[in-house]
Amino acid sequence: MAHQWGMAIDLDRCNGCEACVVACHAENNISTVGEEQAALSRAKHWIRVERYYEGEFPDVRVKFTPVLCQQCDAAPCEPVCPTFASYHTSEGLNGQVYNRCIGTRYCANACPYVVRYFNFYNPIWEKPLQLQLNPDVSVREEGVMEKCTFCVQRIKAREIQAAAEKRELRDGEIQPACVQSCPTRAMVFGDLGDPESEVSRLARSSRATKLLGELGTRPKVNYLPRDSWHDSENA
Amino acid sequence: MERRDFLKISAVAGATAALEGCGNPDHQLIRFVPEEDLIPGIATWKPSICTLCPAGCGLLVRVMAGEAEVVRNGQLGLLKMGLAKKLEGNPAHPINQGKLCPRGQAGLQVTYHPDRIKGPLVRTGRRGSGQFREVGWDEATKQLVQKLSELKASKQEGGLAFVTAPLRGQRKTIIDTFVASFKGLTSIEFAFFDDSVIRAANAASFGHALPPTVDIGTSNYVISFGADFLGTWNSPVAQSLGFGHMRKGRPGQRGKFVQFEQRISQTGASADEWIPVEPGAEGMLALSLAHVIIAENKQLATAAGHAGSLIEGWSLGLPDYAPEKVAAQVGVKPETIARIAREAAAQDPAVALIGDAAVAHTNGLFNALAVNALSALLGSVGKPGGILFASGSSAKPPAASLQSWASEVSSGATAVDVLLLYNANPVFAAPAEWGVQRALEKVPFIASFGSFIDETSALADLILPDHSPLESWLEDTPVSGSAKTVVSVAPPAMNPLHNTRAMADVLLDAAHQLGGDFAKTLPWKTYEEAIQASFAALYKEKGSKTAKDADEFWKKAQEQGGWWSTEPSQVAAVISAGTAVKNSAPQFSGDSSQYPYHFLPFASQLLYDGSLAHLPWMQEVPDPLSTAMWGTWVEINPRTAEKLMIQQGDLVEVVSPNGKLRAPALVSPGIAPDVIAMPVGQGHQNFTRYATGRGANPISILAPANVEGTGSLAWAATRVKLSRVGRGKLILFGGSLSESSPELKHR
Repeated sequence: MAHQWGMAIDLDRCNGCEACVVACHAENNISTVGEEQAALSRAKHWIRVERYYEGEFPDVRVKFTPVLCQQCDAAPCEPVCPTFASYHTSEGLNGQVYNRCIGTRYCANACPYVVRYFNFYNPIWEKPLQLQLNPDVSVREEGVMEKCTFCVQRIKAREIQAAAEKRELRDGEIQPACVQSCPTRAMVFGDLGDPESEVSRLARSSRATKLLGELGTRPKVNYLPRDSWHDSENA
Repeated sequence: MERRDFLKISAVAGATAALEGCGNPDHQLIRFVPEEDLIPGIATWKPSICTLCPAGCGLLVRVMAGEAEVVRNGQLGLLKMGLAKKLEGNPAHPINQGKLCPRGQAGLQVTYHPDRIKGPLVRTGRRGSGQFREVGWDEATKQLVQKLSELKASKQEGGLAFVTAPLRGQRKTIIDTFVASFKGLTSIEFAFFDDSVIRAANAASFGHALPPTVDIGTSNYVISFGADFLGTWNSPVAQSLGFGHMRKGRPGQRGKFVQFEQRISQTGASADEWIPVEPGAEGMLALSLAHVIIAENKQLATAAGHAGSLIEGWSLGLPDYAPEKVAAQVGVKPETIARIAREAAAQDPAVALIGDAAVAHTNGLFNALAVNALSALLGSVGKPGGILFASGSSAKPPAASLQSWASEVSSGATAVDVLLLYNANPVFAAPAEWGVQRALEKVPFIASFGSFIDETSALADLILPDHSPLESWLEDTPVSGSAKTVVSVAPPAMNPLHNTRAMADVLLDAAHQLGGDFAKTLPWKTYEEAIQASFAALYKEKGSKTAKDADEFWKKAQEQGGWWSTEPSQVAAVISAGTAVKNSAPQFSGDSSQYPYHFLPFASQLLYDGSLAHLPWMQEVPDPLSTAMWGTWVEINPRTAEKLMIQQGDLVEVVSPNGKLRAPALVSPGIAPDVIAMPVGQGHQNFTRYATGRGANPISILAPANVEGTGSLAWAATRVKLSRVGRGKLILFGGSLSESSPELKHR
């Protein structure tokens, strides 16, 4: 059976540091758009850290939630694409074929998670910043929608390596850039098709929930909400 | 006309003539013979060290073949070379164990920054005009050596000053040795967020003049007084790893984390209990917690040992600090103080830590001593789950402070003939009142080793650009973050892109040209040799189970990214008798009737102290708590905003007794109504195309108050007033879900 890539994010570990966001920029050749375009809400962050304030001073709380493409099994972005640029891969990813994309932006309209980002202009890397580009990831041009791929280039590289070494992939062997960088180990990536994997174990946990799960999108990212401390538990 | 210019022009002219507008002159560049063996498409991983903050995390650099425009022997051309493509944490490194923070991830952009200085520069225009002429290294070094030999001949005391960021290892040795031979001042180390108050407190309480290594991972109760330990304070990646482990790494056991501060920091946002405390009352609060623990016989006062004996009234059980007596001054309800004290006393191990604004009040040293005493009372000093002190570099506090140096030089009391600058930008990062710029203007010759023109290096007469960290030999001896002894080392991860040289190499070269004692005191020809010598000494001292001789030891260290002890190490405490200190109320600059608000600068999670404001990734990544990008803001409580008729995004003017600035307002529920906060980092007047002229610099309006008993700046001791002056520009990240919390409830 094909792998079903998924993720679990433990919000009791996440401290909102943004390491995942910068790691993603570096890995996936995400261009910065500059101040003017950022002011028009055109900045691109395939993963972002949401923060929610609750209450009023002094009884105020903040919760962080990193949000990336949820790689839905019933993805609202896929059926609306007139050119099949958004499609479902055999390994469960919400793929985006850049050279099929004609920029209708229907997919971004349909996505309830707001994780699709449109290139309003060609990317600019002022020389020699272009030298930082990852040769394993294509650069997107004006008029093209882009989004989180679960670092499909890393997935493919490991699958090819494992096949060449005639072995099965090991659980935890593939780490998207965000997971690899995360200083609190809040993010776990793996095969939801393998019941023994760490990500499957976390997905089965009584704490696991889905973001906007009630929409029926069947996301493959599981969130484990912030826990609380109970004196009795520890005493 | 130089040969390269002629070639360039003729290439451009040829292309234009032949292709009339569709030719790219770059394609006319010549190709150099590659200097390395490279396999296209195959990545190699090389160890390196992150130098962007004092934590000293280990890196693995992904290097792949690429084509870069470089200058070799004065000729511009294309070179196929190994290029750093991605930075990851080094999994073998004891500090960060394969993990990396957002700032460390962005280190790539330092190397590839379009505004890096590409070769030595000599000033041509008036000072600060930004007009420089490119020169070769021979001419640049000659100019430096000439100035230094004139100084040497004059035999003038204190004629040489060297201002650097806090340094460790052989670079520090080389600089200190160099400066000492000129009868100069010892090097002046300066960083806005420095740890000298905590070092002073730890020296007095525990006999270690070091920042603490906090073993959060195995702690059951963490009380933090203002320390942004998950974001920017001390060793944030090591502490974040510990935090994740404390929360969910031990099945069935989850530690509690309490944060006391005035504004919710990125760290405070993750607290189980976030409790506001009056600015400067952190020490009093810590002693009130201690009072409850002692009064209720949870611990004996003597359990705190020497750290407790430093606090007046400790042996009597701190009668003046009963919660109901101090509650009003501290701003925390007495029952809350008592409850937190009981919870902490019931948990083992429990630990208290202090940092950032809590030690940047005028009574910051007292606050730190009080929290140290609380930690000692909780029994967690020197134990797992508590505070440890790793052995690191020798922990001598710097002898000269930038503040006193600047005032002496600008008043004319001290004459400095030559000033050298390395990795420090004091014109930006010191309060305007210190007069650093005035002092610099009095120095006849300034040379900078910086990679960028910033507010300080713009005043230089000579610029001798260092390699970027990824292009350079690196070594470091981190002093916190791991209980093991860590000595990191890394050869260059890639060849230099530009005509740059390592600062230490230039200094060693200059020393040898100057002759004299240097052959004895600085026997190494290169920085690499100096590092190798330090590893030979390390091998002699520590030995090795795996390496058969010093050479193999050195080789292995380079492959691994350093050497670290297998077991936790502890340096012996040297405790000198101290006199008991009593609470002194924090002093604030500015009368409270005229300046009603406390002004709280804080370290930016992305721009740190402003030294990373030149990186486009750091500008465009949304701030964790505000989502602000490409600018700065003034954080105001909704009640305060309403009272002053300020709305989100309005331009407000912040006025202190020492200056004023303007920035857009951000209305946030996570800040006390009598405090306004501002991130440090923006407001550069001159720091590359990405940072120049962006936002305002809160440091510029700070009062020059000191932390009593130290020479450190009390950067949280300024009061301000504020008013609306118009509409401002506040850019928040747009692509997000609705503002209400999604249904992520614990069942």
